[in-house]
Amino acid sequence: MALIEIRRLRKLFDGHPVLNGVDIDVAEGDVKVVMGPSGCGKSTLLRCINRLVEPSSGSIHFRGAEVTGPDVNVRSLRQQIGFLFQQFALYRHLSVLDNTALGLRKLKGMKKKEAAERALHELNRLDMAGHRHKFPAHLSGGQKQRVALARALAMDPAVILLDEPTSALDPVMAREVAQLINRLHGEGVTMLCVTHDLEFASAIAERVAFLDEGIVQVEDRLSVLYEDHAHPSIRNFFMKQERSS
Amino acid sequence: MWAEFFRDLVDQGPLIMRGLGDSLLLTAIVSLTGFFLGLVVFYFRHCQFAIIRLILRGYISFFIGMPLIVLLFLMYYGLPPWGVSLSPFSVAVIGFTFNVAAYNAAYLTTAYHALDSAELEAARAAGFRPFQVFRLITLPQVLRFSVPALTNQVIRNLKDSSVAFLIQFNDFFSRVQELAATNFMFFRAYLFAAVVYLLLVMVLVLIARQIERRVMIPGVYIAPESLGSSAV
Repeated sequence: MALIEIRRLRKLFDGHPVLNGVDIDVAEGDVKVVMGPSGCGKSTLLRCINRLVEPSSGSIHFRGAEVTGPDVNVRSLRQQIGFLFQQFALYRHLSVLDNTALGLRKLKGMKKKEAAERALHELNRLDMAGHRHKFPAHLSGGQKQRVALARALAMDPAVILLDEPTSALDPVMAREVAQLINRLHGEGVTMLCVTHDLEFASAIAERVAFLDEGIVQVEDRLSVLYEDHAHPSIRNFFMKQERSS
Repeated sequence: MWAEFFRDLVDQGPLIMRGLGDSLLLTAIVSLTGFFLGLVVFYFRHCQFAIIRLILRGYISFFIGMPLIVLLFLMYYGLPPWGVSLSPFSVAVIGFTFNVAAYNAAYLTTAYHALDSAELEAARAAGFRPFQVFRLITLPQVLRFSVPALTNQVIRNLKDSSVAFLIQFNDFFSRVQELAATNFMFFRAYLFAAVVYLLLVMVLVLIARQIERRVMIPGVYIAPESLGSSAV
């Protein structure tokens, strides 16, 4: 059974369907990549999984349990799902260490010292321990992304959702993030990543799901999608990106 | 003439010192009560219930819009016929608190708009309760951004405390007024009052700047004028 099973997921904003029957599975230990043009509903898809956005219909099973029901403990669900935001969303008033330790103290109930040790372990894992006393404003984009990842990993989530993790980074930093994701994948971390960055996608996955007009149009190997595809939106998306890269 | 004035000042010294103490006490009390009520108003100003948000918006507009002296007169002279008779000190504390809380809530609300909404969403995504998001993410930042405006409000409270003498509260200014009325040296008396207020304000400004330096978020700069700190 997949860790996340999404079936016929629909989300309407003001009557307009942004997601119009999405089916996606994410297996344990997998790195699933969803690509698609801007505004195709990629971010909405991620936000439906942890209920930051309420789905209009369809089902999302996480660890075999439906997450869209009214009796679901949303806070408990969110603690099992790490979320990485486009703009990193580090807490500006907290140091790197406190950013990473906050959830451990306030959500997992750890003592300050224990939480700091755990946070430091995660920061060390992502080569950020040396920056633990710095504040977010003093970090580069790539460093912020690492701290955001460390903050998510510290909570020991079953899966990490990554929302356009390279959109605010330059190409060099984007490649570093790709290497980092591959390393975490090697360590068994499950991830679902939405992106429109083809170079980044090809660096972290062989297969991608292509989302457009509210549905997954195709899920295939990137090498297949690069070829002259019959579906015009797929052809436009991948061939345009290939030219630009 | 100045020697004569200072002789009278020394004679009236105990009363003037008591008035000064009462002015400082009133300032301290209304700064605290106005701060905490302002926090409560700010918190509920962003709650999920539209009717509460509307009421509190009305509260802020009403008390910012109404001159403080009108509010004090309403309570001190207007309420006794209805059977509610309060001491000048009580009227001053209550009136100032409502007024100051409205201003403070407005400052905090302005600072709230300087927050990065992604941080709040990240905290919700992590599984924090709404009140935890408020306490751990919103409030620490909003308070830091608001320090210039909030400390300026304390300075304004000190200066505004002088209007309480109009409802028979024997503050510093009313004692100086009495001194001037006995020796008719109005210019010297009011100049003396001005110098004392100025010195007190200077002390408060120094304390305020110290607080600002201590609580500022490294690398984060919010233009003071965008947060209402130009109030003084």
